Amino acid sequence: MQTVTLTPKRSPVISIEAEMITPDVFAGKSDAEIGAIPAWEGNEEITLADVFDVAVDGSADAAGTKIIIDGNVPRVKRIGEAMTAGEIVVKGDVDMRCGALMSGGSITVEGNADSWVGREMTGGEILVKGNATYYAGGGYRGETCGMRGGKLTIEGDVLDYLGEHMCGGEILVKGNARLLPGVLNWSGTITIEGDTTLPGGEMKSGTIFVKGKVLEMLPSYKDEGTEEVDGVTYRKYTGDLSRNGEGVLYVSV
Amino acid sequence: MAEMIIKNGVVYDPKNSVDGEKNEICIKDGKIVDNVGAGAKVLDAEGCLVMPGGVDGHTHCAGKINTARIMSPHDMRYSPIPGLSGPEPRTKLLRPQVGYNTPNTHAIGYRYSKLGYTTIAEAAITPMMARHMHEEFESIPILDKLALVLMGSNWQVMQYIQDGDSEMLKSYMAWALLASRGYGVKIVNPGGGSNWTWGKNVTGIDDKVIDFDVTPADILIGLAEANEALNLPHSIHVHCNNLGVPGNLPTTLDTMKLLERVKASQDRQVMHLTHMQFHSYTGTSWMDFASGSDQIADYINKHDHLTFDMGQMIFGPAMTMTADGPTEYRNARMFDAKWSNYDQELEDAGGIVPLAYTPQHFAHATMWSIGLELALLVKDPWKVMFTTDNPNGGAFVNYPEGQVLLMSDKKRQEVIAGFPDMTMDRISLPNIDRELDWGEMTVMTRSMPAKMLGLEEKGHLGAGADADVAIYDVKPDKVDVSVEHEAVKKALGFAKYTIKGGEIVVRDGDITALPKGKVYWVNAYENGIVQTEKDRLITDLEERFKKYYSMQFSNYMVEDAYVPRPVEVRPEVA
Ligand SMILES: [Zn+2]
Repeated sequence: MQTVTLTPKRSPVISIEAEMITPDVFAGKSDAEIGAIPAWEGNEEITLADVFDVAVDGSADAAGTKIIIDGNVPRVKRIGEAMTAGEIVVKGDVDMRCGALMSGGSITVEGNADSWVGREMTGGEILVKGNATYYAGGGYRGETCGMRGGKLTIEGDVLDYLGEHMCGGEILVKGNARLLPGVLNWSGTITIEGDTTLPGGEMKSGTIFVKGKVLEMLPSYKDEGTEEVDGVTYRKYTGDLSRNGEGVLYVSV
Repeated sequence: MAEMIIKNGVVYDPKNSVDGEKNEICIKDGKIVDNVGAGAKVLDAEGCLVMPGGVDGHTHCAGKINTARIMSPHDMRYSPIPGLSGPEPRTKLLRPQVGYNTPNTHAIGYRYSKLGYTTIAEAAITPMMARHMHEEFESIPILDKLALVLMGSNWQVMQYIQDGDSEMLKSYMAWALLASRGYGVKIVNPGGGSNWTWGKNVTGIDDKVIDFDVTPADILIGLAEANEALNLPHSIHVHCNNLGVPGNLPTTLDTMKLLERVKASQDRQVMHLTHMQFHSYTGTSWMDFASGSDQIADYINKHDHLTFDMGQMIFGPAMTMTADGPTEYRNARMFDAKWSNYDQELEDAGGIVPLAYTPQHFAHATMWSIGLELALLVKDPWKVMFTTDNPNGGAFVNYPEGQVLLMSDKKRQEVIAGFPDMTMDRISLPNIDRELDWGEMTVMTRSMPAKMLGLEEKGHLGAGADADVAIYDVKPDKVDVSVEHEAVKKALGFAKYTIKGGEIVVRDGDITALPKGKVYWVNAYENGIVQTEKDRLITDLEERFKKYYSMQFSNYMVEDAYVPRPVEVRPEVA
């Protein structure tokens, strides 16, 4: 078991590209080695030691490595990008693309996550205890596939385009989701415990559960009557018919 | 008086009947010469393969590609071929690079140069789009460039053909080349682009074009005859009707037969047929679709009035972009892909759809096979240009892959072994064991495209040619390409030296200098059209601009400032 604790030393104004903060990169490295890893702050090349105090306890492979970011890092992007194993715990907020492309392991964000949390993730788990903003579990700009696997849980609210272009995996939002969750979806399951607006726009297939209210419904969904799933009665819709979609939208009654 | 002599190279220069000989190549002031002085800089080729600089006679590198870039931010991060794709940071010499199918302009220049290519032809622009295209040309470094101008669904062209007014047709074609600073005449899905304005298409060369009393056949013959009457260096360059449609073989054969009656004004084809792979399908639907390459090849082997290029497919992500608007609409619907589509006023249509080709899909596997079959079944390499219809069939950085496929039956069989069974009775490639040699490859990638385009100073290494030379880390007398295809592919992707206009622009696969390239264009108007005909044309055009165009006539023509290093070609007037 290896524990790496990163304690923020300052609050940068310009975002820091930190795709190297992963168990895969940190595994087996000393505090000095991790501190010397280069990163970009805007157009300036810095090291992790410029931003964090680094403390390392033990040594292990990626699966046995836990990274604790002991504070708020709302301007540190791409934490946990493409990680395959291990654990990251952030005791505060994170900037965009946390956990993008991750395939294994787990990330816990105790504060809020900015846009594109879990972008294109294929495996592993992300838990955001606060809110997330746009495109949670979404895709890369221009791609036709967003999240493909794994599980993304957001205990608070999310803004627009939750699970955009989703191709697999599972998303759970315990609060509300704003506009167009599941837009352009191919597959996967989204559950929204709160309210939302215009779910499933241009959804091709996939499943969306809305346990709160749908504040505005797309006209291009077909009402299929009621259906009970896991003891809850929903009104079932299929669509989006504007795209000959076969997606299923369950709205609690 | 910059002089250079390349020694110890194994030289392939088919136009001058040099087939793998240890000739010296002398360069002076950017040109190939017969000899140089004792003080000339010596470049030791160390027994490596030496060819003229590559000529890509059909690529989509400026114009529409910009819309494709906007549509595909994701392409910017693709890097299937390290060193020739994907994001690369700025260096002291180079701009940053991104992309695979739609790289930024600078990357296009760098990467073609690394491949040993020195001249490229943008295959499809409307005159309306030409100014923008020249702006992109200006930021593609190193390479010489030219553009083919779309005329096959142009209202003026169709009107003058309908009127039987061959003089007006000639005048307009010459004027459109001048207005675009263009080099040759491109015809895409003749008539179909115009019908697409009304959501329709044509299904063969004898359909009527809506609102004009002409057929695709009339357009082809009209433009071909006027092209020859103007004595243009390039023939008409044709993308047939029914691209990508199962059973389009008869349309392609009809088009080839139709042109038999046109006489060439000079020693070249009367028609170049592009991306033939997409036009060689038998069957009636995707269910019974199969290769028609044997019938196409048989026809081409028996006739000498046309040339073609492969449009070879490369597996992986591609970006289709064509003036064939209805085809792109069909692609978008068939693959549920995102698309852009446009109608360019009186001039043509167009569309863009990103696709991906996979060897696991029988249709893609069949299309991949057809491109190779065509190039291997046609006996005379001077009738075949190597292309992928970049980036429609695949990105140009895959040219080494495609070239090695033509040279190694073993490599082909390795790929075919992974095809689904449903492919096997649709293709003939498994039974074709021909392997092209270096001389034939030099023809298909250099000498033939230069001759086909009428670029006399390109595609060869004789005295008077531009000193565009590619040297690859391949020892032709020692390597068996059939077996060592991976090593050869790597060498073809990263030239040991690329020399452009006498200057070393690539050394050991890295860019070393960034000269600006020339832009070839054809002025058949100034001397080629008499004043009374010019007056008649301009009067008519002014009226048409007032009635139909969104642009002012006075703002239309590309100004000289957009073409700072022109090579103006003036055809001899008959
Ligand atoms: Zn093309």
